[in-house]
Amino acid sequence: MARPGLPVRLLRRLEGPQTMGRGPLFWLGFLAVVALAALYPLTADGYTVGNTIYFFNWCFMALGLCLIWGYGGALSFGQTAFFGLAGYGYGIVTLNLGAAHGLTLLAVVCAVAAASAFAAVLGYFLFFGRIGGVFLGIVTLSVTLVFERFMAQTAGPEWHVGVARLNGFNGMSGMPPLTIPWPGGDIALFPDVPLYYVVLALLVVVYLGLRILVNSRFGNVLVAIRENPLRATMLGYDVRRYQLGGFVIGAALAGLSGVLYTAWGQYITPSSMGITAAALPIVWVAVGGRADLTATLLGTLSVLAGFQLLTVYGSQYALVVMGLLLVLTVLLAPEGLIAGLARLPGRLARRGRQNGNGNGNGNGNANGSPNANPNGGGA
Amino acid sequence: MFDAVFGFLYQFGDAFAFLVLCATGLAVIFGMMWVINLAHGEFIMCGAYVTVTAARAGLPLALAILCGAVVAGLVGILVERLVIRHLYGRPLDTIVATWGISLIAAQGTLIVLGPGLPGISTPLGSISAGGLSYSVYRLVLMATALAILAALYLVFNRTRFGILARATIQVPHMAEALGVDTRLIYSLTFGLGAALAGATGGLYAPTMTMVPTMGAQFIMEAFVTVVVGGADVFLGTAPAGAVLGLVKAAMTSWQGQLFGQIGLLIAVIVVIRVLPRGISGFLLRERS
Amino acid sequence: MNLLETRDLQKHFGGLHVTAGVNLALAQGEIHCLIGPNGAGKSTLFKLILGEYAPSGGSIWYGGDDITGLAPHLRIRRGISVKFQVPGIFAALSVRQNLAIALQHHLEGHSMAEEIERLLEYLNLRSEAAQRAGNLSHGQKQWLEIGMAISLKPRLLLLDEPTAGMSPEETHATGEMVKDLNARGMTVLAVEHDMAFVRQVASRVSVLHFGRIFAQGTIDEVTADERVAEIYLGQGHHHV
Repeated sequence: MARPGLPVRLLRRLEGPQTMGRGPLFWLGFLAVVALAALYPLTADGYTVGNTIYFFNWCFMALGLCLIWGYGGALSFGQTAFFGLAGYGYGIVTLNLGAAHGLTLLAVVCAVAAASAFAAVLGYFLFFGRIGGVFLGIVTLSVTLVFERFMAQTAGPEWHVGVARLNGFNGMSGMPPLTIPWPGGDIALFPDVPLYYVVLALLVVVYLGLRILVNSRFGNVLVAIRENPLRATMLGYDVRRYQLGGFVIGAALAGLSGVLYTAWGQYITPSSMGITAAALPIVWVAVGGRADLTATLLGTLSVLAGFQLLTVYGSQYALVVMGLLLVLTVLLAPEGLIAGLARLPGRLARRGRQNGNGNGNGNGNANGSPNANPNGGGA
Repeated sequence: MFDAVFGFLYQFGDAFAFLVLCATGLAVIFGMMWVINLAHGEFIMCGAYVTVTAARAGLPLALAILCGAVVAGLVGILVERLVIRHLYGRPLDTIVATWGISLIAAQGTLIVLGPGLPGISTPLGSISAGGLSYSVYRLVLMATALAILAALYLVFNRTRFGILARATIQVPHMAEALGVDTRLIYSLTFGLGAALAGATGGLYAPTMTMVPTMGAQFIMEAFVTVVVGGADVFLGTAPAGAVLGLVKAAMTSWQGQLFGQIGLLIAVIVVIRVLPRGISGFLLRERS
Repeated sequence: MNLLETRDLQKHFGGLHVTAGVNLALAQGEIHCLIGPNGAGKSTLFKLILGEYAPSGGSIWYGGDDITGLAPHLRIRRGISVKFQVPGIFAALSVRQNLAIALQHHLEGHSMAEEIERLLEYLNLRSEAAQRAGNLSHGQKQWLEIGMAISLKPRLLLLDEPTAGMSPEETHATGEMVKDLNARGMTVLAVEHDMAFVRQVASRVSVLHFGRIFAQGTIDEVTADERVAEIYLGQGHHHV
C-alpha cells in the first residue's frame, strides 16, 4: 500500500480526537479566515491594526493556559507570573543592550527561556511534589501575587539591572520595540502593519504546532492524565514528567505573550501580574472552552473584543461583566460557551435521529446494569 | 536584650494573629466543605466597609466589627444559595466561580461606592520598649485571634450546630438519614466562614485604607495558611499560623516585609512537599 | 521461580497496622486469590505491590529484583498490570482512544490499529469503539479496563475484585477469561469475595486477616480450615 502524500500526512497530524474541526471543509474555512486576516490591514486604519495586534498578543497566553488546564487538567492560576517575568526580562535585556544587530530578537528568546526555566523549577516542585487540584491553583496564584508585590516595591534607584531601573509601581518603559536587522536599515516593528503580519504568522504557527502536539502521543497521555492520573501511571507513564512538560510549554507561551505585549506597548508594569490580571486568562479560556484550542482561540478574541467595548464605560464595568461571565459559564456551560455552541448542531442532530428512530441507541446504558455475556453470543 | 526578645515576640504574635485571622474563615469553609473561596478577600472587605461605616455613624468599635461580621455572614449565605450550592463535588469549578464573584464584588463596590471610604484610626495608642513603639491595638488583635480560635473550638465541639455540621460534612448521607437539614448546615457553615472573614476585615479596618481591592492583601496569607494547616481548623490553622508566623517574623526582621512574604511562599511549597495533607493531616494521620 | 514475593511487608497508619507482616510468594504461572473479611488489608496490599503506598517495613521482590523503592510507573514497565475495583478508565475519551493510550507505549501506526481491533473484538466492544467510555455500562467499563490492563501483555496481572457487580453469567465468563490469560502465560493475583469465582480459577488461595496471611493452600484446604470459617462467621459476613 503506497504511503499517502505529505499534505495528507500533515493533515492527519493536525487532526485528532483532542481537537475540534476536521476535514476539508474545516481547513478551507481556516485558510479563508487566515486570508481575511491577512487582507484586513489593507482596509483598516493604523489604530485598529495596532489594536488587533494587541488582541493577538494575548492569544498565546490563552493557548498556553488551554494546554495546561484544558488538556492537562492542571489549574494554573499564575500564568501572569511568566507573562510578567518574560516582559520584564525583555525590557531588561533590550534597555541594556539596545535594539541593533537583532538583539531584540535575542531578548525575546532569552526572556521566554527565562520564564520557561522558572516554570521548570516551579513545576518540578509542584508536580514532583504531587501538588495538584486546588492546591496547585493556590500556589501558582500566590507566586504571581508575590511577583507583583515584589516588583511593586522596587521604586528606589537601587533597584536596577544594569541601566534598566525596575521602577516599582510605575513599571518599566521606553524599551525598544521588536527590531529586525536589515541591510540598509533595521526595521523597527511599532504597532503597525509589519508587526501585524509578524504576530499573525506567529499565531498561525503556534496554533498549528499546538494542534499537532495535542493530537500526538504526548497529547494523548496528557489528556489521559487529566481524566485519570492513577490509571495513566498504571499504564506505565511517568505522570509528573508529562505534567511538567505541558506546564513549561504553557509557561513559554505565556512568556511569549508577555514579550510581545511589552514590545508592542513599550512598557510593563507589576499590575500585569496582579490578581485581576491573573483572572482574565481564566475568563477567556473558560468562556471559550478550555478543552479545545480552536474554541479557546475564538473565545479569547471574542471576550477581549467585548471587554474592550465595555471599557469605554469604565474598566470596572468591564471587569464586573468578566466576573459575571465566569460565574455564568461555570454554572451553565462548564465546557465553555463557544465549545458548547459548536457542539450544539451535533447534539440536536443526534436527538433528532433518536426521536426519529423511536428508541435511541447512541448513548449506551449508563446505569451500571451489567452487560450480556461479553464473550458469548454472535459476532 | 529583653527589648530584642520582646520585639521579636511582638513580630511573631503580630504575624500569627494576622495569619490566623485571615485564615479561619477560609479554613472553616475549606475544612468543612472542601470549597476554596477565592472571594474570601471580598468578604473581608465587606466586613471592613460595614465596620467603618458603623463606627463613623457612632457605634463603638467592637459593636461595629460585630455588624461587619454579621453582614458579611448574611452575604455569604446568599452567595452559597445562589452559586456555591450548585457546585458541590466540583472543587475546581468552585474556585473558578468564586473568583468570578470576587471580581464582581470588588469592581461592583468600586462602581457603587467609589474608589475609597474614609477610614477610622487605630485606637488605644502605643507603648514603647527599647526605643521602639508598639501598637497596643495589635496586641489586642493577638488576643482576639486566640479568643476566636477558642470560640470556634467551643462552637464545633460543644454546640448542637457544631456537632451537626461536622457530622454533615463527614457523612452527609447519614446526617440526612437522621433528619438533619444538610442544605441549611452548608449555608450556615459558609455563612460562618464569611462572617469570620468579615470580622477579620472589621478588626483590621482601623489599620488600613478602605479601598474596594483591599481584600487582595489578605488572600495570599489566608490561602497559604490553610494549605499548610490542612483541613482541620484547630489542628491545622492554629499550628500553621504559628509555624508560618515564625517564618514570616524571622524573614521580616532579617530582610523586611517582602522577604517575609517570599519566605511564606517557599515555606508553603516545602510543607506541601513534606506534608501533602498539611499539618492537621499529618497529626491526624489520615489515610489517603 | 517465584515471580512475586513480599517479605515481611508492613504498612501502618499511625497506630493502625493495616499490613502486619505479609509473606506472600507467587510462583510463575499460578492464579492466586486473596480472600478475607472486609478491612483485612487486601486493597492496601495491592497498593503496596503497585507502589501507590510506600511500605513501613519489609520488601517486595519481583522477578528476583527488589522493587521496594521503585516508582509505580516503572513497576508497570517491568510487566505488572492492574485492574482496579472501581473501573479506572478515561471517561471522557472514546473506547478506541482508551485502548490506544494503553498500547501506544510499544506499538504504533498500523500494528497498533490492528491490535486495537483485535482487543475490541475480544472485549465485545467493537460496536462501542467510538463511544465515550464514560457512557458504557458498568460491566462494559470493567471489561474495557481489563482490556487495557492485558494490552500491556503483563507477566503479572493484579485484579481487584474483578467480578464486583457482575451477574453469575458474567462472573463465569470472567473466570474463563482469566484462565485463558493464564494459559497464555500471565500470572494472576486476584482479590475476590465471590467464592464461585475463586473456586473456578484459583490454583492457590491466601486468607488475609488483620493484615496477616492467616491461612494458605488450595481452595478446598482453606474452606475446610475451621479457623477460616470462624473468622468469616465471627465477623458476621456471608459469602456465596
